[in-house]
Amino acid sequence: AQDTFTLRLAETWGPNFPIFGDASKNMAKMAEEMSDGRLRIRIDSANKHKAPFGVFDMVKAGQYDMGHSASYYWKGKVPNTLFFTSMPFGMNAMEQYAWFYHGEGMELMQEVYNPHNLMSFPGGNTGIQMGGWFRKEIKSVEDLQGLKMRIPGFAGEVFAEVGVSPTNIAPGELYTALERNTIDAVEWVGPALDLRLGFQQIADYYYTGWHEPATELQFLVNKKTWEKLPADLREILRVSMRLASYEMLVQSQHENAKAWASIQEEYPNVQIKKFPDEVFQAMKEANDKLLKEAAAGDELAAKIVKSQQEYLEQSRAYTDISERAYLNTMGEVE
Amino acid sequence: MIGMIMFGVAMLMLMAGFPVAFTFGGVALFFGIYAEGMDLFAFMPFRIMSVMQNTVLMAVPLFIFMGVVLQRTKLAEQLLTSMGRLFGGLPGGLAISTILVGALLAASTGVVGASVVAMGLISLPVMLAHKYDKRLATGTICASGTLGQIVPPSIILIILGDVIGIPVGDLFKAAVWPGVVLIGLYIAYILILTRLKPETAPAMPQDPSHSRKQEVVSALLAIIPPLALIVIVLGSIFSGIATPTESSALGGVGAVVLALIYKQFSFKMVWDSAKDTVKVTAMVFAILIGATAFSMVFSYTGGDYLLEEWLHMLPGGQWGFIILAMLVILILGFFIDFVEISFIIVPILAPIAEAMGINMLWFAILIAMNLQTSFLTPPFGFSLFYLKGVAPPEVRTVDIYRGIIPFILIQILVLALIVIFPEWFGMSSTY
Amino acid sequence: MRWIIKLDEGLARLSNLCGWVACIAMILMAVNVFYDVVSRYAFNEVSIGMQEMEWHLYSIVFLFGIPYALRTDGHVRVDVFYTNWSNKAKAWVNLVGAVIFVLPFAYLIATYGYAFALDSYSMGEGSGDPGGLPHRYLIKSVIPITAFFIATAGLGMITYALRVMSGEKSYASEHSAGGLA
Ligand code: NA
Ligand code: NA
Repeated sequence: AQDTFTLRLAETWGPNFPIFGDASKNMAKMAEEMSDGRLRIRIDSANKHKAPFGVFDMVKAGQYDMGHSASYYWKGKVPNTLFFTSMPFGMNAMEQYAWFYHGEGMELMQEVYNPHNLMSFPGGNTGIQMGGWFRKEIKSVEDLQGLKMRIPGFAGEVFAEVGVSPTNIAPGELYTALERNTIDAVEWVGPALDLRLGFQQIADYYYTGWHEPATELQFLVNKKTWEKLPADLREILRVSMRLASYEMLVQSQHENAKAWASIQEEYPNVQIKKFPDEVFQAMKEANDKLLKEAAAGDELAAKIVKSQQEYLEQSRAYTDISERAYLNTMGEVE
Repeated sequence: MIGMIMFGVAMLMLMAGFPVAFTFGGVALFFGIYAEGMDLFAFMPFRIMSVMQNTVLMAVPLFIFMGVVLQRTKLAEQLLTSMGRLFGGLPGGLAISTILVGALLAASTGVVGASVVAMGLISLPVMLAHKYDKRLATGTICASGTLGQIVPPSIILIILGDVIGIPVGDLFKAAVWPGVVLIGLYIAYILILTRLKPETAPAMPQDPSHSRKQEVVSALLAIIPPLALIVIVLGSIFSGIATPTESSALGGVGAVVLALIYKQFSFKMVWDSAKDTVKVTAMVFAILIGATAFSMVFSYTGGDYLLEEWLHMLPGGQWGFIILAMLVILILGFFIDFVEISFIIVPILAPIAEAMGINMLWFAILIAMNLQTSFLTPPFGFSLFYLKGVAPPEVRTVDIYRGIIPFILIQILVLALIVIFPEWFGMSSTY
Repeated sequence: MRWIIKLDEGLARLSNLCGWVACIAMILMAVNVFYDVVSRYAFNEVSIGMQEMEWHLYSIVFLFGIPYALRTDGHVRVDVFYTNWSNKAKAWVNLVGAVIFVLPFAYLIATYGYAFALDSYSMGEGSGDPGGLPHRYLIKSVIPITAFFIATAGLGMITYALRVMSGEKSYASEHSAGGLA
């Protein structure tokens, strides 16, 4: 009889976190079925390991064989992990998957994770994330000055450059903080997940996205674990991870559309807004400046930024005459 | 099965009287190494780190600091005895005042360790000095200090909202009436008990040289400053100046300012208060860390899977399901803390309830009421440990265990009322 | 016996030192949070670095407080039987408990906590949020440091128990079970 392998996976989310959690469950299910039970993946959610942001360390140290998380969470540990989730004004999901699998994406990502005894694979895409819930309308860059917003990570740095005050609030207190104007705005994910937190009950302005056009989660695999697996199981694992991430993109589209319909129906107070052009202009400049700074300090960072920008340029030129042209046409004939 | 045996062993070991936190941690260590090996404990730094980064728990030291300063400066005593005087010759005035202050604190924080300890510091010495029955005094404090779990804002409700997928605002609104009824029944219980047994809660002595009117006026005047402090804390949350956690710092700094105004301030007072605060805070967090080691071993040795299996055997039928689910949560609450229950049990029960057409909002409130009880049930109710940690030696663990029973019965009564008459609380049991 | 008394007094000083550090952190933390609220509300200024400093200080309060509370008997006990026992019996409970519970627990936390902090140091870990604090290994290394002091406080429980057994000290005199309220 052939050996069976049970891999333990730690995920950043809680046990029944929708969409994100479905991606890891789908992956585990496919792997087990395709391998006829020879490859089992046991998922431990955040309630069990209690370390949502320790997934990197735990997989690195071999306490877990695999992880399901997002690359940009490790920015404080390994700055170059930032680039493999989604970048402000960057590629959309289709473009980014193309960069990963047909451009240099996978190779560069591996170069970043290699020194840490880890492998990283795309782990499911949320599609474009919404720009956040605001309690007052943003009409100019002036309106952003001193605006208190829960916005973590690199996007927070971009916002900070244009005058926003990024603010830390414990997730458990976010709702109360927004409701009582302790903060003015909250960035979360998209309709399906935002609906659960109830922001639509207390904020009227829902802004369209720009800062995370294609948030890609990640599967982490400990290298020793990977090397231990026979070739066929490795391939099964690889395919399961790839298919599960594609499925999550599709599921996100479905769930978000459904949630948005229900927000429109039950919360007529909610208005969709787009930041004014001058705000986008300022944020784009801030973004370019920060990227230039990152590239100046680190050779690998420079290589990744260059690869992403060149790929975006080429890919977007085609997106413009295909998807964008189509959507524009649809807008006109309505 | 190891997890279940571990509970039994821990319970026996606790009786030896070694500090609770290290008994939990030590028992977990033996079972953990036996079942999984040393390396299981490589998870411990991560778990400690998650406590360190749980900023909501910052309310614990900050509220304790407020309580200690109010106690050392005698302002707490002034607040409670004056409130008690307002009740005139009525016995039980101090207990009712304690419940009211507890309700106010509950509206500002949902962290049980913070409010139980602060309430213990503020009102236990006063009640004992006025010859209150130890059991009545400790029961009242534990119960009113735990109100923060059901009175919004509340951590249980936020977690349940997330796990079940209901907007938090709806849950907060729905929890208001159950909270009010609970507070009302606590007070009613004190009134009835003191009518039957006035000696358990003697009335405040009245000064014969003052008329009743003079007394009321002087009592009201004395209440205002400490009450103003509580109003500032609450007001800062309601107006959005501070988050609930931050408001506890306003309370601590405000207490020091009050001490200044009342000429009770000295650097020694602040330093001694900090020392007491550190000691009590360490007691609370050592328990949390010991308990996290315990629950780590429980779940990594398969205890969570076993529970899951048992739960899937619950029978069908809406009423049978509700009653059994509530019983299961109540019994598990004896042993496991509410976060574990919310994450392990609720995800299993929620889909079953939903399929039966049960109103999930109502179901969530039932669970929240039930989980609040779990803080109070002997032998592992954390509120009981916390109060014991600040109580004078003559208050025994057994006194606290006995004192809480009537309040647990009241909570079960309210739970039953919400089950049977949801419409009284503005809810319905089905969609 | 003389050297046990000396050792016990030395260990007590270590635990009291921890208490001193925790008290300073406690006062700084209250000021820190108060300052953050005022500056956000009155001046619309938020510093994530200052916000992170809050939990750094709060961690120091409870982590360093634990060995201090061990020495001052601040950790809650179930006293169903304990209070009625003789000093000698109490000494045995504390001695055995320290040997089988406190010391091994402290040892494991110290070992794994050291690896945890070292990993953070080797990556140069800092905050990932705008304006956050660098050098996260500093706060992470408080975990093994505390474990070390928990171990010395555990040793202190043992030496104190020996002093009680010899009749030179008693639990009632120096140790008060809680009793703040
Ligand atoms: Na987001
Ligand atoms: Na509350």
